[in-house]
Amino acid sequence: MNKPKISFRNVWKVFGPTPEHIIETVKPETAVSDILAKTGHVVAVRDVSFDVYEGEVFCVMGLSGSGKSTLVRCLSRLIEPTAGKIIVNGDNVVEMSEEELRDLRRHKMSMVFQRFGLFSHRRVIENIAYGLEIQGVEREERIKHSYEILEKVGLHGWDQHYPHELSGGMQQRVGLARALAVDPEILLCDEPFSALDPLIRRDMQNELLRLQRDLQKTMVFITHDFLEALKLGDRIAIMKDGEVVQIGTPEDIVANPINDYVHEFTKDVPRVKVLTARTVMKPVTHKEELIGRAVAIDTTLEKLIPLTADTDDAILVMDGEDNVIGEVNRKRVMMALATIQKKEV
Amino acid sequence: MAATRQPSPAKQITPVRIILIAALLLFLYHNLIHNLGVFPEEWNLGLREPLDMFKKWVIVANRDGHWMFALFFQPLKGSIDFFMRRIEDFMYWLPWTVIIAFVFFLANKIGDLKLALLTAFSLLMMGLLGLWDESMRTLALMVTSVIIALAIGLPLGVWAAHNDRVETMLRPVLDAMQTMPAFVYLIPVVLFFGIARVPSVIATIIYAIPPVVRLTNLGIRRVSEESIEAARSFGSTPRQIMLKVQIPQAMPSIMTGVNQTIMMALSIVVIAALIGGGGLGDVVLKSLRRLQVGSALEAGLAIVFMAVLLDRLSFAFSQIEHVSVKKHQGFRLLPRKWGGKSWAKAIERPITWVYAMSGRLEKKVVHLFSRLLPKQDENINSAGYFITMALGLLLLLGISFALSWVEFPENWDLSLSKPVDTAVKWAQVNLYQIGDTFIGTGPFSDFVSLYMLRPLRLLLLEWLAWPIIILLISALAWKAANWKLAVYSALSMLFIGWLGLWEASMDTLSQVLVAVLISVLIGVPLGVWSARNDSAEQFLRPILDFLQTIPTFVYLVPVIMLFNLGRVPGIMASVMYAIAPTVRLTNLGIRQVDEAAVEASVSFGATTWQTLRNVQLPLSLPSIMMGVNQTIMMVLAMVIIAGLVGAAGLGFSVIDAMQNNKMGASIEAGLAIVLMAIVLDRITQSWAQKQADAANIT
Ligand SMILES: Nc1ncnc2c1ncn2[C@@H]1O[C@H](COP(=O)(O)OP(=O)(O)O)[C@@H](O)[C@H]1O
Ligand SMILES: [Mg+2]
Repeated sequence: MNKPKISFRNVWKVFGPTPEHIIETVKPETAVSDILAKTGHVVAVRDVSFDVYEGEVFCVMGLSGSGKSTLVRCLSRLIEPTAGKIIVNGDNVVEMSEEELRDLRRHKMSMVFQRFGLFSHRRVIENIAYGLEIQGVEREERIKHSYEILEKVGLHGWDQHYPHELSGGMQQRVGLARALAVDPEILLCDEPFSALDPLIRRDMQNELLRLQRDLQKTMVFITHDFLEALKLGDRIAIMKDGEVVQIGTPEDIVANPINDYVHEFTKDVPRVKVLTARTVMKPVTHKEELIGRAVAIDTTLEKLIPLTADTDDAILVMDGEDNVIGEVNRKRVMMALATIQKKEV
Repeated sequence: MAATRQPSPAKQITPVRIILIAALLLFLYHNLIHNLGVFPEEWNLGLREPLDMFKKWVIVANRDGHWMFALFFQPLKGSIDFFMRRIEDFMYWLPWTVIIAFVFFLANKIGDLKLALLTAFSLLMMGLLGLWDESMRTLALMVTSVIIALAIGLPLGVWAAHNDRVETMLRPVLDAMQTMPAFVYLIPVVLFFGIARVPSVIATIIYAIPPVVRLTNLGIRRVSEESIEAARSFGSTPRQIMLKVQIPQAMPSIMTGVNQTIMMALSIVVIAALIGGGGLGDVVLKSLRRLQVGSALEAGLAIVFMAVLLDRLSFAFSQIEHVSVKKHQGFRLLPRKWGGKSWAKAIERPITWVYAMSGRLEKKVVHLFSRLLPKQDENINSAGYFITMALGLLLLLGISFALSWVEFPENWDLSLSKPVDTAVKWAQVNLYQIGDTFIGTGPFSDFVSLYMLRPLRLLLLEWLAWPIIILLISALAWKAANWKLAVYSALSMLFIGWLGLWEASMDTLSQVLVAVLISVLIGVPLGVWSARNDSAEQFLRPILDFLQTIPTFVYLVPVIMLFNLGRVPGIMASVMYAIAPTVRLTNLGIRQVDEAAVEASVSFGATTWQTLRNVQLPLSLPSIMMGVNQTIMMVLAMVIIAGLVGAAGLGFSVIDAMQNNKMGASIEAGLAIVLMAIVLDRITQSWAQKQADAANIT
């Protein structure tokens, strides 16, 4: 992967009268609920460190109250982090002056909100143009640009309406368009689709994937829906009580949930669709047998099952440059399924 | 179950009981053994002398150029005067045609054609009643006061919204300001500025500021967190958040505040005639003094038209919705129900045609000018409309001057005064007593004075000596709230005695109680009726709205027509003014009673009457009490106005002293009214609150 675009280093956010004191004194094993009961402080984000790389969709997933919204707001300092460093493009956001921060928010990152956060007194097109207006772009130019974005998110003809005249899904398209209008390097999404009906939500997820293929933004995407995280995320961080408990690709996490908390999410996942040859394969045993059928490394279990079902032979796994990097056979495929069975019992 | 001991209430000794027993003992002593007498005169604080001295000092200091006057009061007075004169001159200079056309187009834009017609008609009526100049004078006073009030109130509201400490400091001040009757504001202002128009502007500003401050603060604080966060996330500065998000989003609330400010300003601008405000109020006042009911009625009507005009217009501003396409509903002058009738169609068809034509014309003209505007401007229609309007008005201005249509034509006169005077004479003769029956204004008036006012006054002044009343009031306060309010109420009542106004206050109190009693006796049944019957509610609502729109002063005109002078017309005016909240809140309270409770009652076989008495009325009591509280406050606000028609008591003292240039006495009486208002307000409000809490707990 390329260089990190965003780095969190030991970031904390504690709500309460003396937050610094809590960070210094609290022991790593003390539970968040105990801290609250004893000191009245809410530890919303607890010693979080991770990197987000350029152009990737990084999902943060966790139950409600696990600190996801707080975390993403620390990134643009809509909430002041209590401790730690947050590096964006090599600069520490935490140490930025008011001015630098404003510049960052205006040009580098923008955000999509769970309940849309649209301006009810502005027409759709004026909502989309808001970021540009704040940047000081001339009216004619920003309106022209906003019309282009409007088309991109599929809202043709809705420019002169007010937000409340639109359906929920369309409102969030406006929210998305407003965020994209400033052409940010980083897009922050705080559960943007959680307030939508399931069908609309799926449409919007596909729409986002489609846009992302063109735009290649660095995206931090918050969700409490594990399936959504699997679908959208290049990598996923799972949060619990303010801590990140596991980071990995969707496949990593489904294949090797680190603890019961994570396993609980992965239980209902259709693994045959998520696991691939990458997880199931083993190193090649007999070099001389390097002939026979081969599959690509990202072939899902779903496709491997019929291939391995009628043969005892190994099937080769190849990477992008046609190098053989492993092999799978029926036994391994069945073991992968069996592992699931075992864990579920 | 733990057996908690429940002391039987009868045996419990509470402070309230002790006070009541003391009052009872005193009552027996006073009536059987030894008369306690009137409030001792030697306790009089003699507040009026220093006040009169102060007044003299103000006059001298003013003349001699004391620094406070030279540097502060005079320049303030001067600049307000200057500002007002410019506005007034401008409005006199504008031809009446242009003023009416301006209001018409404005109302058509922010409201609809119906509103436009209504406002234009109101203005036209002012002219037809022969009161165009006076109306413009009142309007100028209004515009001046409202502009200054908004210039102070809006920033104050914004500041309060951003600073919790400012809000907590302002709130009690605003609360207190709204408890005080309008008239009270005039007194201190007169003390410093004398009698003229500027002091009326200043009093108006102070009186009318609270709603706009309150509602601006409230509106801004209610803007959703998420849209502010969104604005921040785009790197908006605090100033940009304020101007681009918070204020626009709070606009409906702010405009509601502006509407209320305007209406409060109007009510005091009319009263301000008493301190030389001039305009329509002055006409009413002078005519009332000469008992020329006809011309008082004309001026009263003009004030009503002014009130309707200002209220509907500013209300329309607060109702502006964010909709992309204004739904074109056509135009209906008459209720939909009548639509089928052929005569209604005959009336509406030409209107519809004119409406459609003017709409088409408007579009054409707007289209013409839209080429001058920058492209893709979404406000193009508004801008086009206003440009069209401005050009149209300029054209009209030219035409009006060319044809010298500047002054409102004098021979367009609807003069009502003659027929009204005749009608009043007729009413006084024929309605006084209809035949040999006891129906008529005379017997009614006699009944109220003989069987309600007199016994009550006797009770308050003779049977209950002053210490007994103070004890009873503090017992009431303690029961409604706590010992603090009891002490506070007792001290306030004592203070009224110390001012030497005990008797006048009891006289006023008896009138207030009678007015409240009549309001409740009429208002609660009306409220029940409208709660049970939707068409009754629809019938009553506009009437109540109307009653609350009219400035207090105007109520004097019809009552003086029917009841002549004295306490009874004062009471009737108070009832008309103050009945609305009782009706409204009774209706609301009953409508909000849980349907399940009503159903349960009905399922037990309760009759309608039983359900009403045992379920609906008790459950809606908190709401009804709230209404009664408002009614009491409104009756108190009328006390001074009622003094104008000769209702003896504190109100009359204020008016009389003021007209005889006895500032001290006038202030004393004003102070007594305020004290009484605060005591009654606190007690009834705590009581209503207690009822509401009790209802919520169970
Ligand atoms: N302003 C605040 N003051 C105190 N506690 C807060 C505040 N904001 C959030 N919290 C607490 O921090 C925790 C994490 O909240 P949040 O980040 O909103 O979680 P999530 O977005 O994952 O649902 C919750 O326990 C919440 O109650
Ligand atoms: Mg959240």
